[in-house]
Amino acid sequence: MRPFLDMQFGERIVTLMAALVLVLQIAMVAQRWIVVHIRIFAAQSFFLAMIAATIAWYNHAPHLYIAAALTLVVKVTLVPLLFERLVKRMEIHEEIEPIVNVPLSVVIAGGLTLVGYVVAESFYRPEEPGLGHNALAVAISLFLIGFFTMINRRKALTQVLALLSLENGLFLAAISLTYGMPLIVELGIFFDVLVAAMVLGILVYRIRESFASMDVSRLRRLRG
Amino acid sequence: MITDLFLSGIVVWLAGAVASLALWRQPAVARRVGCSAALAGSLLDLAASAAVLFSGSTTVIGLPFGNPAFTWAIRLDPLSAYFNVTLAVLAAAVSLYSFGYLREMEGRRNLGAFGFFLNLLLPSLALVFTASNAFFFLVAWEVMALASFFLIIFEHEKEKTRKAGMLFLIMSHAGTGLLLIAFLVLASASGSLDFSSFHLLASRITPLQQGTVFLLFLFGFGVKAGLVPVHIWLPEAHPVAPSNVSALMSGIVIKTGIYGMARVFFDFYGPPPLWMGTVVLGLGVASALLGVLYALMEHDLKRLLAWHSIENIGIILMGFGAALMFRSLGQSNLAALALIAALYHTFNHAIFKGLLFLGAGSVVQATHTRNMEKMGGLIRLMPVTALCFLLGAVAISGLPPLNGFVSEWLTYQALLAGFGTTQSLTRLMFPIAGSLLALTAALAAACFVKAFAIPFLALPRSEEAAEARECSLPMRAGMAVLAVGCIALGLGATWFVPVFDSITQQTLGVRASAALVTAHGLALTAGTGHGTVQGGTISTAGMALFFLLAGAAFALPLALRWRRRSVIGPVWDCGLPGLTADNEYTATAFSKPLRMIFSALYRPRREIQAEYEVSPHYPSAIRFESEIERTFEKRLYGPLRERIMAAANRMKGIQAGSINLYLAYIFITLILLLLFGVRG
Repeated sequence: MRPFLDMQFGERIVTLMAALVLVLQIAMVAQRWIVVHIRIFAAQSFFLAMIAATIAWYNHAPHLYIAAALTLVVKVTLVPLLFERLVKRMEIHEEIEPIVNVPLSVVIAGGLTLVGYVVAESFYRPEEPGLGHNALAVAISLFLIGFFTMINRRKALTQVLALLSLENGLFLAAISLTYGMPLIVELGIFFDVLVAAMVLGILVYRIRESFASMDVSRLRRLRG
Repeated sequence: MITDLFLSGIVVWLAGAVASLALWRQPAVARRVGCSAALAGSLLDLAASAAVLFSGSTTVIGLPFGNPAFTWAIRLDPLSAYFNVTLAVLAAAVSLYSFGYLREMEGRRNLGAFGFFLNLLLPSLALVFTASNAFFFLVAWEVMALASFFLIIFEHEKEKTRKAGMLFLIMSHAGTGLLLIAFLVLASASGSLDFSSFHLLASRITPLQQGTVFLLFLFGFGVKAGLVPVHIWLPEAHPVAPSNVSALMSGIVIKTGIYGMARVFFDFYGPPPLWMGTVVLGLGVASALLGVLYALMEHDLKRLLAWHSIENIGIILMGFGAALMFRSLGQSNLAALALIAALYHTFNHAIFKGLLFLGAGSVVQATHTRNMEKMGGLIRLMPVTALCFLLGAVAISGLPPLNGFVSEWLTYQALLAGFGTTQSLTRLMFPIAGSLLALTAALAAACFVKAFAIPFLALPRSEEAAEARECSLPMRAGMAVLAVGCIALGLGATWFVPVFDSITQQTLGVRASAALVTAHGLALTAGTGHGTVQGGTISTAGMALFFLLAGAAFALPLALRWRRRSVIGPVWDCGLPGLTADNEYTATAFSKPLRMIFSALYRPRREIQAEYEVSPHYPSAIRFESEIERTFEKRLYGPLRERIMAAANRMKGIQAGSINLYLAYIFITLILLLLFGVRG
């Protein structure tokens, strides 16, 4: 048996890492400290890059290596660095105050995972071999939980982090369903993420400057 | 060849747009670049579309981008080419005029921006007329709406201008919404967005869909065309725009609605149910009559012209409506006659209304007011403008031998011939519509007696009017082009009518010009009777000759005896010392009889305040105020706006202003949709 050529083995690796990604996502929901939150995001992105590389290996899709490399550069390194510097420079209160308390949040995240599996089930075609079945379910769950986290956060910075983990879900869905979109699309997405992170970083800073707080509920004042 | 000409026209326009925007810091250069590009692009477009129209062929141009669902397909068939010719002739004249008109604004306004939007509007119009994919069409349509919007609000420092622009934008978008729905219904039936797949399609869908799509298209395009009751933006937006823009708006932008209707009614639909033609005819009559009636009460020169645009759109739609009815009744030849009348009038209206707006622009620029009651005596100060405006006024009033007469006469003939086509009660529609068209034309003539006489004749009513100067050479040249067009399209009617052969062939499958042109190409005839009604025959060239001879016969003896018999004396002034402008007949007084006759519609309100010192018989000052009710705004749009505001206020509850809440809305929707999708 040669594990590095066996599709079955590859699927197990992907499933394992997808599970880790999901666990990290739920950990993010439960996390109370911003800096740790950022690092969990970095770790999650790292596993995502690994998944991309594994799929690239087993499916002979060389352009996915580029996607994996970009994930390492942008999401594992650049964005977390950017955000940690932002947190330090703004000297903000480092504790996250979620709207829904932590235990209930985790229960909701579990429920959303269930929704993810139910939805992914309808896409499952047993006759088609592939790596993607579990990965798609995880991807949808990531997306939903990321969305929920966004709702559940008060500060703009943590909302941006949640948005990025939501985007991780989209990325996972894309690579597990299609073994990678055309490279140009992926490049575009990465550029998007980077720009979004920078713009949002600046925006967060501005919100703080103008409202002396990062609490987005202060934006209510803008209402006509 | 045609492809190259057409595409290079578009490229010249777009290049002119970018160049004039880039040069905005040098107003004189930006003006010249912008106007030259507009002129050059128009001439290229004219060459391409005239070639298509005269050869009767169809040119398809595929642009090398886009994807299979949204092809950027351009199709120059005779109908498209006809509207492109209209566009190109008017745009060329307006560009020429703009050289002079915009010079006054140098240094005061951003002419680079003006050149940009002008040179964006023109290619978008050309593409609206030629796009043969619903998506592409709507893109061009929206670019056109936005470019028009920015041109309308060019003098944006006035609040009234901004308000009018906003009204235009709202109405325009509402109309586009209707069009989008209609196109999507058709696309879902054909499985494609290409116009070629829509050909005769609308007659194959269910009757309910057919009717719905028809009404959606009618009102969607009607908003742009200025169809009553969705016309309200027109009398607001046209006056506040710069006059060269008004000329384009009234001459060609509102015609995109007409083009759209022609495309839909005669390309997408086969012979339609009779009620559709009846609806179009009825709305056409309403637009024509209400347009002219409101124009009569208007003393703002440009608003008056704007109301006349509604009237003329009504006349065009009467032709369309009649053509649709004839098509339902299986009378292809009559349908061709009515369609020719409508399309002829479309071109004519572009020419004479363009001319009138350009003339009004010269007058407004010289007198700095749009109020006719402050003008007067301009014929001596601005003779060329006066002559051009007079020609335009004669043309729009439908007087022979100019172009307005020919197309209105053709419309009459079509309507009158309709009486014999069916035995049902519907046939009464035709003579009623015909007589109302006659009323409209008479009222229009009355209105233009006012619109010409008050500003141009007698004594100046204000200092500004007394100091008016003739407009610059390019402006006169632009007007002259259109004035010559009015004459040529009138006298040369018999040579122009065969142009329509390829269009009627394409839409109705008949070539009508051979039956229409008679007497060795010197006269038009509406045929030898359909049923009980005998068609008429006219010859504009003959009428012109008659007028010339009659004029000569009258003037010659006068000229010969002039020196011996005539004595020039002062005007009789009732014994008062000297007549002033205050003694003149005013526009308000002129229109008073009609205000009384149609008071049920106008619901006039007037207020007279007299001040006197000694005795009530010798007032020292009289203040007179008169106002008519704006029926549609008050009775239709007022309640509508209140409803919308009330609904918006109720919706305000869910707008808490919290990002988390908004996200939650999206989230819940998403989950519900996902679960719904899984189940389904």
